Amino acid sequence: MNEQKRTVAIHVPVLTRVEGEGALDLRIEDGQIKELRLRIFEPPRYFEKFLEGRSYTEIPDMVARICGICPVAYQVTAAQALERLFGVELDPWARDMRRAFYCGEWIQSHSLHIHLLAAPDFFGCDSVIELARIAPEEVRRGLRIQALGNELMDLFGARSVHPVGIRVGGFHGSPSLSRINEIREKLRAVLPEAEALIRWAASIAVPQDDQAFVSVAMQHPSNYAIERGLIGVSDGLRIEAEAFDAHFAEHHEPSSTALFSSYHGQPYLVGPLARLNLNHARLPEWVKTLLAENGLALPSRNLFHSLVARTVEILLALHEALRLLDDYRVPDSPWVPVTPRAGVATGCTEAPRGLLWHRYEMDGEGRVVNARIVPPTSQNQGRIEEDLRLSLLNFGLDHPDDALRLHCEKVIRNYDPCISCATHFLRMNVERT
Amino acid sequence: MSGVRILGIGSPSGDDQAGWLTVDALLASDLLAGREVVIKKLDRPGAGLISLLENASWVILVDAMQSNGQVGRIRRFDQKDWPGYCHGLSSHGFGVLDALSLAQELGSLPPRLDLYGIEIGSVNPDEKPEENIQAAARQLANLIAAELGHAPLV
Repeated sequence: MNEQKRTVAIHVPVLTRVEGEGALDLRIEDGQIKELRLRIFEPPRYFEKFLEGRSYTEIPDMVARICGICPVAYQVTAAQALERLFGVELDPWARDMRRAFYCGEWIQSHSLHIHLLAAPDFFGCDSVIELARIAPEEVRRGLRIQALGNELMDLFGARSVHPVGIRVGGFHGSPSLSRINEIREKLRAVLPEAEALIRWAASIAVPQDDQAFVSVAMQHPSNYAIERGLIGVSDGLRIEAEAFDAHFAEHHEPSSTALFSSYHGQPYLVGPLARLNLNHARLPEWVKTLLAENGLALPSRNLFHSLVARTVEILLALHEALRLLDDYRVPDSPWVPVTPRAGVATGCTEAPRGLLWHRYEMDGEGRVVNARIVPPTSQNQGRIEEDLRLSLLNFGLDHPDDALRLHCEKVIRNYDPCISCATHFLRMNVERT
Repeated sequence: MSGVRILGIGSPSGDDQAGWLTVDALLASDLLAGREVVIKKLDRPGAGLISLLENASWVILVDAMQSNGQVGRIRRFDQKDWPGYCHGLSSHGFGVLDALSLAQELGSLPPRLDLYGIEIGSVNPDEKPEENIQAAARQLANLIAAELGHAPLV
């Protein structure tokens, strides 16, 4: 047999259908991957530096600006870290409504990613506009679910993009009972659509891929972890947010303005599939049955199951929001008083894209001395490159260039990377001679 | 829901408030009083714009635009030109024309849709819009009021 070897150089100058600006370089020589690099070139935004000297009262609104898709994750993580340092015990009402607010963000972010960004790949479409020609009902359903997530965010945050509802100590205000009753009706009405969405996503043919990887997600003893819990790792490690630096490290690569993270020196996965892999025992029995009926076995080693994982989390978030809004009452006060103190505040939550970790050193007057934020996309960066390498070998390097390019883009989109979130913390070392 | 909706799209950054200013000019007048018209200011609605078109008979959309033209110029967009302006579908950049193209594909466009753009200059946060943008917004509000069968605003 005469085996033909070729040299392939694929350069995707701007990745589309991801959040922010990145590129991909792939070089194959003699049937071997010689170079594979996810390049993140979006300029850094220096958010941590902006926070220095700011009062704790400003932090939730400032960090919300890091991302237009997952601002609640940033707000809740910052507020919780500071509340922990200041010894603030939230009213149970505020604790529950934070989680309901967060559910809204999971619903809108996941639905947006599934329908606008990821699904077109699996139907041979360039965009959701093309997808709408062949699956109009599914796209309409996705938009309805996304809009409901936005509405839930708007309810607690006064607006869904860069909401302003959260303050350290609780919320600035509380929705009226009539507005809560209105949204509960909508949440209940959309449940069958969310179940149909899971069945639709599970029916989409995805590449069969099998990879060993480390999953990292928060875990909670009594619920599916969103805003509270320990950081869990698939090798059995369980740690508090304060211990993050003892096990996880960040480093620079020349090709990226975002930092790479590693766990004990190896890449790892955060996000919906990592969460399901670590927390599937916490799923209600009827969800387990639904997944079994649709052929998703957990834990999964196929990153292409991320699409279904997002649909499962949409359904969970809808049910959770309904549960939390049951017996809603308007509180006497939506916030408790706060007295700042000096020290180090650390916190983490599960943003739609995965673990989000914050650390603030505060002075005695409640001003930020320094800040550090580790977003999900930077944590997934090393895993994306590792996945691309393994997935391409599994897919076969002898495919035409266009097929290789599309496969790489599909792999990257599985992670729903938010490059804009990931590029705000570049540290610059300037050498002068 | 009202059959007629006027939607001003923008952000708080400088001239990007052009759509909001147009809506403000209409709201500040009483020319639309007594007429059932829904008027809204929207902050970068993305795909959320589609649900706001539902069950309307006539939607008038006003947004800022940048095309290297004269700042303050008002342009009316024809539906056949939309695809040429759609680009780079990330959800951070899912713009008005992307949303309208998707709505068109889904059959969700109202029977009548008028899309206006006001050519803008700078969009820096915390800056006020330029005077010529404010004048263009008043001019466009007059035009819209006339379209709706009202006398011009003062």
